[in-house]
Amino acid sequence: MNMKWLVRSQSMVTLASGMIYPYYLLFLKNLGNSFSKYGLAFAVFTISSAAASQWLAPRLDTYAKRWLIMSSLGMAGAMIAFPWITSYIWVLLLQVIMGLCNAMQRMSERVLLADYTEPGKRGKPVGNYHFWTSAASGFAVIIGGLLIDWLTIDVLFYLSALLYIWGSVSVWRSNHTTNQ
Amino acid sequence: MFKKMGVLLLLFVLCIWTYWRTGGEDQNPYLITDYSRLHPVKVERVVQAEQEKQLVELLKDARENQLTVSIAGQRHSQGGHTYYQDGIVIDMTSYNRVLDIQPEAKKITVQAGATWADVQRAINPYGLSLKNMQSQNIFTVGGSISVNAHGRELRNGSLIQSVDSFRLLTADGQIREVSRTSNSELFPLALGGYGLFGLILDVTLTLTEDELYRLNVDRTQAAAYPSYFRQNVLGDPNMRMHLARISLQPGEGYFSDMYALNYAIDTEASLQDYNKMSVREPGVLPAKILFNLNRGTVWGREWFWGLQQRYFESQDGTRVSRNNAMASPSAFMEYHQPGNNDLLQEYFIPVDTFPAFVEEMGEIVSQEKLDLLNITVRYVEKDDEAVLSYATQDMFGLVCLFHASLSDEEQAKFKASLQKIIDLVIRMKGTYYLPYQAYATTEQFEQAYARQDEFFAAKELYDPEHTFMNYFMEQYGGNSK
Repeated sequence: MNMKWLVRSQSMVTLASGMIYPYYLLFLKNLGNSFSKYGLAFAVFTISSAAASQWLAPRLDTYAKRWLIMSSLGMAGAMIAFPWITSYIWVLLLQVIMGLCNAMQRMSERVLLADYTEPGKRGKPVGNYHFWTSAASGFAVIIGGLLIDWLTIDVLFYLSALLYIWGSVSVWRSNHTTNQ
Repeated sequence: MFKKMGVLLLLFVLCIWTYWRTGGEDQNPYLITDYSRLHPVKVERVVQAEQEKQLVELLKDARENQLTVSIAGQRHSQGGHTYYQDGIVIDMTSYNRVLDIQPEAKKITVQAGATWADVQRAINPYGLSLKNMQSQNIFTVGGSISVNAHGRELRNGSLIQSVDSFRLLTADGQIREVSRTSNSELFPLALGGYGLFGLILDVTLTLTEDELYRLNVDRTQAAAYPSYFRQNVLGDPNMRMHLARISLQPGEGYFSDMYALNYAIDTEASLQDYNKMSVREPGVLPAKILFNLNRGTVWGREWFWGLQQRYFESQDGTRVSRNNAMASPSAFMEYHQPGNNDLLQEYFIPVDTFPAFVEEMGEIVSQEKLDLLNITVRYVEKDDEAVLSYATQDMFGLVCLFHASLSDEEQAKFKASLQKIIDLVIRMKGTYYLPYQAYATTEQFEQAYARQDEFFAAKELYDPEHTFMNYFMEQYGGNSK
């Protein structure tokens, strides 16, 4: 089965997340005076992701592709919103949304990887998938650093949003070109 | 497989390139420096200020172990004022509580690490405003009064005039209440004292009322500027704040074209409609792109002046509250590229000498091929209360933003060029500002600051062991500890 679209779209998504992620951590750290406050933002993200997984799980086999699209769009929305928020409570709210998107993306990705591979023959395609998504992340971080030095972290948020949208479009287009 | 190898190779090359590009000392995360990123050094430790008792203990400990103490706020000074090799750095930014507001008496008491933005947020609801501060509000109160800063305000001298009193932890471990009536000899020493007379714990500032201003933008010429200023700005009792810029655009207007931003009291509208403090800094991205072009390219610089002028002219007639006018944008100027930086210098020139100075300075900048990005001009009323006062008469302060390489070789050339400007400043009976990298020679410093002997003699009296130490002291104040 052809899973090139999955590799491409998710490489785009890791490019988007890799570009912002390390700098996003710094951004969050600057919001709070204490490490506990910073920790709380992360806890909210993981709790949201964990809780969402339980609601998503029974529907995963049917909606995996749709959720990949939705998670990327949700992340794009969060990226566009970040530069505009001015209070911590909104950061927490966005962390909840991002936790939900994270659960959708991570779970769907795994299910689709399993769907598109056969038991006993998974090593190579999974390795291939991992290579391209990780390499995308590597490029993203280096480019992200250069961009922030030159411009602002806001640019990175917007660029990341664009890449997320691109990622979701790639998945959506594969819906129309493959039988799922 | 080849494709993957190629991608890995490319990533590897990018990593090596980044490592090489960021390999300079100015990027060393284990060293301490300030906003200039010049002379990074290793310090013994950086301590976050939390409690008064902790600070007293820390000072005692430093003295017992013969360690120096340096005091840091936002570290926007650029001459090593906030750290010293192998010493203790006290980071005051976490010592930032608003302690007391007295709306009737128009006073506020804050811990020294509070920023001007913190102060503005606290007093804006009472319809109060600061008498004076820098153009931007990102600095700490303690830092600003230690450099006796000044800003766009026309009628309130330099920052020392806004200070009612402060508590100072001196080298002997005592906490002294310092004002114009109590321990008064320390008042003009610690204010504008660059952290050498002790640790300012908290400060009481006198306030004024928030007002509504209307911005007026005028074009003028450097030759006509003193008379323009006297007549249209200082001579107009409604004018409260003023800032001017000099064109650096190559060509006819170079060091001659100017425009002025004047803030005059506006009684035709209600302050209440304009006094909400802006939380976000708008337009950072386009401003930063433009400033980067101004920094990097000749055509960018040509464009920049015109665009800047057009932008400000489009702002003509806009209304702004005093508190918002005193919160100028700054994020667009931040610069993080490794190996070089934007470095500030400020020259104070007597009002009438301004045209001659500007003309000659333009020649030096061009001869020495100095990369000068921006000059803003502010007025500073004569104010010689601080011992190291720069406003020895009514002066224009020219804040010059240079772009320079941080390498030793390029810095030596840069220094030689700037010393020529300082010579000119001294010839014109001016002074230069001390919170920036000290390119001046000791002789130039002594000529510009006639009372420096008194300053350093007092330092010996209050802190004979040089517990409070920094590079300003090392350079001008005699031997290091």
